[in-house]
Amino acid sequence: MKKLLVLGMLALAGLALAQPKVFKGTEPGRAGGAYRITSISDPRTWNPFVARETSSTDIIALFLPYLTTYDPYTQAPEGRLAKSWEVRNNGLTVIFKLREGAKWSDGQAIDADDVIFSATVHADQRVNSNSRSSFILDGQPIRWTKVDQFTVRADFPKPYAPALIQGWYIVPEHVFGPAYRAGVQQLQALWNLDTPAAQVVSGGPFKLDSYVKGERVVLVRNPNYWGVDERNNPVAYLERYTFQIVPDLNAQLARFLAGEADTFAAANADQVAQVLERIRANRLRAEIFPNVDVTLGTNFIVFNWNHKDSFKESLFRQVKFRRAMAHLMDKKSMIEVALGGLGQAQWSPISIPNKAFFTDDVAKFEFSPQKAVQLLAELGFRSKNRDGWLVNAQGKVLEFNLVTNQGNNVRERIAQIFRDEARKVGVKVEYRPIDFNELVRQLTSPAADGTRDFDAILIGLTGGIEPAFSRNVWELNGSLHAWNLGTGGKNPAKVEAFEVLIDTLMKRGATTLDQAQRRQIYVQFQKVVAENLPLIYTVAPAYNPARLTRLGGMFPKEQINSINGQAPYIETIFAKE
Amino acid sequence: MFGYVVRRLLQLIPTFFGATLLAFLVIQLAPGDFVTRLELDPTQDRESIANLRQQLGLDQPLPVQYAKWLSGILQGYLGLSLSYKSDVWSVIGQRILNSMVLVVLATLMIYLIAIPIGVYSAIRKYTWPDRTFTVLAFLGLAIPNFFFGLIMLFLAVWLSDLTNMRILPIGGMTNEFLHLGNMTRAAQILFPPALIGTLVFAGMFWWRVQRKQAATFGIWVGLVLFGMSALLMLWPLLQGPGLPERLPYTESPLWARATNVLWHAFPVVIVVGTSGLAGLMRVMRGQMLDVLSQDYIRTARAKGLNERVVIYKHALRNAVIPFIAGIGGLLPGLIGGAGLVEVTMAWPGITPALLEAISAIDIYVIMGLITITTVLLMIGNVVSDLLLAWVDPRIRYS
Repeated sequence: MKKLLVLGMLALAGLALAQPKVFKGTEPGRAGGAYRITSISDPRTWNPFVARETSSTDIIALFLPYLTTYDPYTQAPEGRLAKSWEVRNNGLTVIFKLREGAKWSDGQAIDADDVIFSATVHADQRVNSNSRSSFILDGQPIRWTKVDQFTVRADFPKPYAPALIQGWYIVPEHVFGPAYRAGVQQLQALWNLDTPAAQVVSGGPFKLDSYVKGERVVLVRNPNYWGVDERNNPVAYLERYTFQIVPDLNAQLARFLAGEADTFAAANADQVAQVLERIRANRLRAEIFPNVDVTLGTNFIVFNWNHKDSFKESLFRQVKFRRAMAHLMDKKSMIEVALGGLGQAQWSPISIPNKAFFTDDVAKFEFSPQKAVQLLAELGFRSKNRDGWLVNAQGKVLEFNLVTNQGNNVRERIAQIFRDEARKVGVKVEYRPIDFNELVRQLTSPAADGTRDFDAILIGLTGGIEPAFSRNVWELNGSLHAWNLGTGGKNPAKVEAFEVLIDTLMKRGATTLDQAQRRQIYVQFQKVVAENLPLIYTVAPAYNPARLTRLGGMFPKEQINSINGQAPYIETIFAKE
Repeated sequence: MFGYVVRRLLQLIPTFFGATLLAFLVIQLAPGDFVTRLELDPTQDRESIANLRQQLGLDQPLPVQYAKWLSGILQGYLGLSLSYKSDVWSVIGQRILNSMVLVVLATLMIYLIAIPIGVYSAIRKYTWPDRTFTVLAFLGLAIPNFFFGLIMLFLAVWLSDLTNMRILPIGGMTNEFLHLGNMTRAAQILFPPALIGTLVFAGMFWWRVQRKQAATFGIWVGLVLFGMSALLMLWPLLQGPGLPERLPYTESPLWARATNVLWHAFPVVIVVGTSGLAGLMRVMRGQMLDVLSQDYIRTARAKGLNERVVIYKHALRNAVIPFIAGIGGLLPGLIGGAGLVEVTMAWPGITPALLEAISAIDIYVIMGLITITTVLLMIGNVVSDLLLAWVDPRIRYS
């Protein structure tokens, strides 16, 4: 009788989860165990409409659902809360089917009302959510409407390639709705760090258990989660997930070396050596994968095409000049000295780990002072003055200032290596690190006449999987069109032909739906950039992940990448002992 | 005297406005604001950046921003943190308390050790113990705290390798789980010696009182240390056996949490304490030497007083006057945190929070901290002056 009852309960549980998401792990796992990682800073909020930094969103992503994301194995779109989708109207409409039976941790159903409400709030200009850009396409809104309880529909003003990636967080309407109707301030005050953890409702694999300021965030398994593994066991496997807040990288390393953290990403060769040494001495049961991939961010030098000094402006606009500068970049030394031997040279704008779009088949102006001298001579800089600097026929010295942001050791060393090589051939480069905010001001705030007051800046941008999300950098009127910036959201006054080509390619890339065609477009885009060097790329630091061997469900070495990290899903990580 | 105090308190008001206005201007003079770093995020467009500035009030003229902030302060409201979107006090309050644990313990340690060593060094000037203390003092002053903190971390890892036990913590202030069973067993072993120690020192105390002698400094220290330990161990002895072997920190009883925090504080307090200790020790030595060469000390010795009485009653009491006057100055230090060592040893104090606020230009968090420090500094100065008048009969305010 008892057995029958249990069976009946199980059947009921199965019914409740009629359409679970199947998470395909790397190996069969088992339930239980704890996962502990270190985090460099405290979260700022649990409210997804307020969160702006990864220290908050890394945690929010564990307890709030989203419609779709990238498949960790293929990088194709993958449904999460969305069970399936249908593209209609030549890509102008996408209909998402939600998983029926999915529930919030407080027992309420997750349905179309929650999705539509979240979309409305994210898109609200007064809320200013960090995801707002996902709801606007070239100034026109993307409209979300409810079809029935488990179906929503998105209407795009034009075909949009990343339409299937909808990674904004969905919140419970029954919690946020009343606050939103009372006003934006009430909405923003919800789910702050002083909110008791029990009141933070979860629709993801984990739910908030406790938070001790400056110490740790603890999440526990959400029993109501809508995911299962391939054998229909509920996931997540892990019972407990702890973020230990350790604001210093060396102290994070110490935690990992002592076995108190399960994963770690070594920042440099020195840290890699320390982990290796400890593993070899049998003091730590762990694995480390040095240089297994490079990080997504990019570092580059950009010259100012909107210079007050017309001599410098026309110089910086010469492609021969920029190619000469590229020839002066000793990327081998940069990797050796600035990155401690761990990293790769970068030649084009798409991050190397982004296999779906990256191509290595681009023009490479490799380190060659002779070629640089020759190109500079073609620009008229043939002789040297008494001090040994290159001058042109009018006696103008070839000189410029290079700045980067203070405190970033990697960038500071890259800049110094470039400066030293340039000075050897007679280019008078003055290098100076400056405050980050001052650097951003020089880069992004043109004066009333459209000029900006810097010569060259070494800076980096965060990278992502989707090239269309970097349109602010590459489209002519973009706010980060760093080399040639227009004022007031307009195109720059003087535009080169290749810039128009890049602009066209970016626009086509964002509106083409066929994956193979898209790749062709972005390959061409990388070639044009590498050829013309509006941004001169430097080197990409290595990704050196390490983990304790007690973890299961992790990627083998060949599959580790800096986009997904060391495991395909957090849901299928488990503790072996 | 009363008139003097009132006058001093009234003077605080213009000082307060001047100091906060200056701080506000200095923060605003630095390039950029809270929103600047978002401008380099390729996914953010111009419109949402401008919106955010407007929403946070960063586009308003400086006098307006300052006036708004000031009207909040006058009602006891420190403002809204730009990055946490919540009350500044809720951002920094807990962290100030955490820092206080370190600062109070380190200050106690510094005074309890530095004054006796300083006195000893002064009396035995240029003997080898004095020279040893001098060398140690200079070492303590020379090693930067954050570096010493890192050494401490690696010492902790090394010790745990050596013994296979966690003797020192690897940074942090608390553990996720507390091993109540271990704590109880440790208390059961350590309680008898602590009790015996307490009884021995209490006996010595009683013995001296019987002979109408004041207890020595050593007896006081012994009595307090052993007595406190024995008292603290009473709780695990009584409650411990009924509790589970292991509990999450947040569900553990108060005595277990306090013990855990003290254990984590131990290496950090050593690091914070050493540099202060070194400095104070040297100052105390100099003060003492100064006083010992005074005429009245020669007179005291000439009239045949016991050397103990000369040193402790005549010399020491005069030599510590500057320290007593300095107690007021400790007040702002209490909330100022223990410095970079909090970052390297992952202590959730105010320093990491302040550094984050500065790098994010979260103005109201910075201003809130400056305001509290300013007020405490001003109060501390008044207290110092009053204390000085109290201990030094030569000083009178009218």
